[in-house]
Amino acid sequence: MSFNREYTRNFCIIAHIDHGKSTLADRLLEVTGTLKGKELQEQVLDSMDLERERGITIKSHPIRMDYRDQEGKAWVLNLIDTPGHVDFHYEVSRSLAACEGALLVVDAVQGVQAQTINNMYLAIEHDLAIVPVINKIDLPAARPEYVQEQFIDLLGCDPDEIHMVSAKTGEGIPQLLEAIIAEVPAPVGDPSTQAKALIFDSIFDPYVGAVAYVRMFGGMIRKGQKIKLMSNDLQFEVGDLGWFRLDRIGQKSLEAGEVGYIATGAKDVRHIRVGDTITLAEDPCAEPWPGYAEAKPMVFSGLYPTDNDQYDDLLEALQKLQMNDASLSWEKESSAALGFGFRCGFLGLLHLEIIQERLEREYNLNLIATLPNVEYEVLLRDGSVERCENPALLPDAKDIQEIREPIVHASVITPKEFVGPVIQISLDRRGVQTKMEYLDTERVNIDFDLPLNELVVDYYDKLKSVTKGYASLDYEYRRHRADDLVRLDIVLNGDLVDALTCIVHRENAYSWGLKLCQKLKELIPRQMFAVAIQAAVGSRVLARTSVRPFRKNVTAKCYGGDISRKRKLLEKQKEGKKRMKQVGSVEIPQDAFLAVLKVER
Amino acid sequence: MGLYIHVPFCGSICSYCHFARTSVHDRSSREQYVDGVLAELALRGEKCRVLGDGMRPLDTAYFGGGTPSLLEPDLMRRLVTGTVGTFDPAPDFEFTAEANPESLTRELAEVWLDLGIERVSLGVQSLQDDVLRVLGRSCNSVMARQALKLACGIFPRVSADWILGPDLRIDYLLAELSEAADLGVEHFSLYILEIHQGTALQQDVRRGRLVLPGDELTERLYLAAGEHLEKLGIEQYEVANFSRPGAESRHNGNYWNGRPYLGLGPGAHGFWGRRRYANEADPDRWSEALASGRLPEAEVDPLDLPARRLERAILALRTCRGLPLDWLPAQTLDLEKGQAMGWWKVNGDRLILTRLGFLRVDGFEEALAGRILS
Repeated sequence: MSFNREYTRNFCIIAHIDHGKSTLADRLLEVTGTLKGKELQEQVLDSMDLERERGITIKSHPIRMDYRDQEGKAWVLNLIDTPGHVDFHYEVSRSLAACEGALLVVDAVQGVQAQTINNMYLAIEHDLAIVPVINKIDLPAARPEYVQEQFIDLLGCDPDEIHMVSAKTGEGIPQLLEAIIAEVPAPVGDPSTQAKALIFDSIFDPYVGAVAYVRMFGGMIRKGQKIKLMSNDLQFEVGDLGWFRLDRIGQKSLEAGEVGYIATGAKDVRHIRVGDTITLAEDPCAEPWPGYAEAKPMVFSGLYPTDNDQYDDLLEALQKLQMNDASLSWEKESSAALGFGFRCGFLGLLHLEIIQERLEREYNLNLIATLPNVEYEVLLRDGSVERCENPALLPDAKDIQEIREPIVHASVITPKEFVGPVIQISLDRRGVQTKMEYLDTERVNIDFDLPLNELVVDYYDKLKSVTKGYASLDYEYRRHRADDLVRLDIVLNGDLVDALTCIVHRENAYSWGLKLCQKLKELIPRQMFAVAIQAAVGSRVLARTSVRPFRKNVTAKCYGGDISRKRKLLEKQKEGKKRMKQVGSVEIPQDAFLAVLKVER
Repeated sequence: MGLYIHVPFCGSICSYCHFARTSVHDRSSREQYVDGVLAELALRGEKCRVLGDGMRPLDTAYFGGGTPSLLEPDLMRRLVTGTVGTFDPAPDFEFTAEANPESLTRELAEVWLDLGIERVSLGVQSLQDDVLRVLGRSCNSVMARQALKLACGIFPRVSADWILGPDLRIDYLLAELSEAADLGVEHFSLYILEIHQGTALQQDVRRGRLVLPGDELTERLYLAAGEHLEKLGIEQYEVANFSRPGAESRHNGNYWNGRPYLGLGPGAHGFWGRRRYANEADPDRWSEALASGRLPEAEVDPLDLPARRLERAILALRTCRGLPLDWLPAQTLDLEKGQAMGWWKVNGDRLILTRLGFLRVDGFEEALAGRILS
């Protein structure tokens, strides 16, 4: 089948988590007849187990649908699935850049959320045609009229432009397909110019190497041609290219307007960067597609195997994960407390959680993750600037002129009754309110400038808890800003536990140190001798407490010769010990390293 | 070999007890029980040639409970002759039975002595009435003193149990131990009160009706009692056991030395042929198994080599003979540090815990488990 630009539509779906994006995609595939019978399992485009379980999309997966409209004309619809989380801003923006239209999906029960608005603005910025969709109208608690009003306020659209659907029952789907071909413009791009293909995602295939997911904006690329990546000038030969179904379907060429894949044969997926432009080596285009940026990790955490024997396994697992996830970065690191491990950089907290979970689940590793951290800029007295993403490696205090921390612009949407608590927890975390706006009679949008460090520690959990789960959050990095920050150390029986070191605002150091000591006191089991716990800034001890030695139940009667009971208890304790780390003379349960996360302020 | 027979009957249930026991029983259920033990012995004899041939002499027998002293004299006679009586006793055969102060009568004591029971272990627990009440004991201090006198007058060897628990006053405790030693008690077991799941005491603690003594107080009680007994010439030979020289419990000693023992009765444990077994604790289920010709075992624990090594090491560590250093894997315990802390002495090729060390034995055992099982 030859490519007909006039009868092609490239679009994506943008929605808040849980608003039914993946189910809607499933339904479109079903109604267009792209997938049949047993191919249809729920959320087909979410390929990882983790994605299906969490109901979120981590890796975007495009698919091409053949659609015959009500007049019998044949269309090609390319659906580009976008990652549905705040951590993946840049990836979302590249996916949007590949489309001409977007279905903006909002849950009929929950209404518009922070992410919906931000992604909508992003879509408007990319000049996409927006098709508003209210999903889940089959639910008893659905409030379609209310959500309709929100849409009208937001988009200034007419009520009859808004599509009411139920992705679950299929209601409204045929009409929605008609709207896609009517409202989304045909793809731009001139096949007679130099080849220009925007990479909106990439994966690593063990058989063919790195595969770029592309949108052709100009010219044509044929199988076997030599291509060039514009950001790094690397050249590869096209081993294969084509379209997406559930699998890749090989073709002879891709031309302007099309969405497809190009197998580059590159051995390292990091060479095929999202946002980069592919052109032909012989006849390159003049300018790359604008907006390319390198994936920049925002959140850092040390990952350590609980059992030192698993170090090599962890290294191998990270290498494998990185093949498919160019945004994951890591370097080797060692900690006096935790031994050898890796300092990993993530796009955000969810990204961290996902990687950690995949390492534990898919690679069967037992990990300790340190308190998530951000990258500080440290201005030294000699005028030089160092970057530091591990608090334990902060330069000596006497050499430091100032410490700058990343500030994000955080946007919260909350029902109005929670405005007070939302502002309170934000101020408690050194947030500065920059905007407050009523979206309608019930919902308020409040924006803050907030230190990212405060955000990664517990802001999101806290926000969910003070708003009973109703608030939504979106954030974006703004700048680094100097503040009065100090390094807080935890010392156990005289030994510094480097993995518990954190950077805090000076004003919070005392209360934070005290609470941390108390939490550790709860978590560190009694041992053969007393354990002194101290929190210190430099040589100044801010708080101290101790765990008294263990000396109970030692004369347990070996009743009637019941020695197995005693031994089995020891075996069980030994299992428990696997999750303990020895620091100096003290054994610390793994939980303790996470406890810093759970300390109430 | 040793023989342990568990007698599960009690007059009332003590608040701390988690052993196999029942307070609901009558003459006919006690008869049924005795028949059951004899049937279990016969069944085990069929399954094990050594046992069936009576080729192995009996070193020790121990009747524990529950309350063996609740068995009527005629039932006790049937039980003893049908079990102990079928074996050849070793020359220095030791025969112990447990008794509660309130059920040990002169008549019963004389029958026991006649049956060859030469050592009695009396569950005194305390001579403080308020403490006895907390523990849910059905005797008071007057009855306990009478029973001590009676036992010491009749039996050549008397042991007594004490519990270190709530409301205990150190000065009272030491005076009680002196009093018992003066009466002729040659062996003491001192247990630190443990709270077990499903006991009345656990409820009391959970609801705040009972406050357990803090670790510091428990430690002081234990150290003071140990020192006091030693002054009386009664020496510690295991973490919880003290005796005049030569009066150690050989039955328990065999447990700790890894010697085989046969356990009969509900909830009894045995160690035989490199395997440990635990009988059904529920008397009805125990009877049912026997009635259908099955061994009444609820659990069998085949011991692999690391498990046997760990058992032998922790049991040795709990005794005053100590742990042979060559059973101690490298880098398990810091020998110098422990000596400096006063936790143990190294005597020749053995590591011997001090009383201070015994109070931390759980930690040392964990360290051993960590090395031996890995």
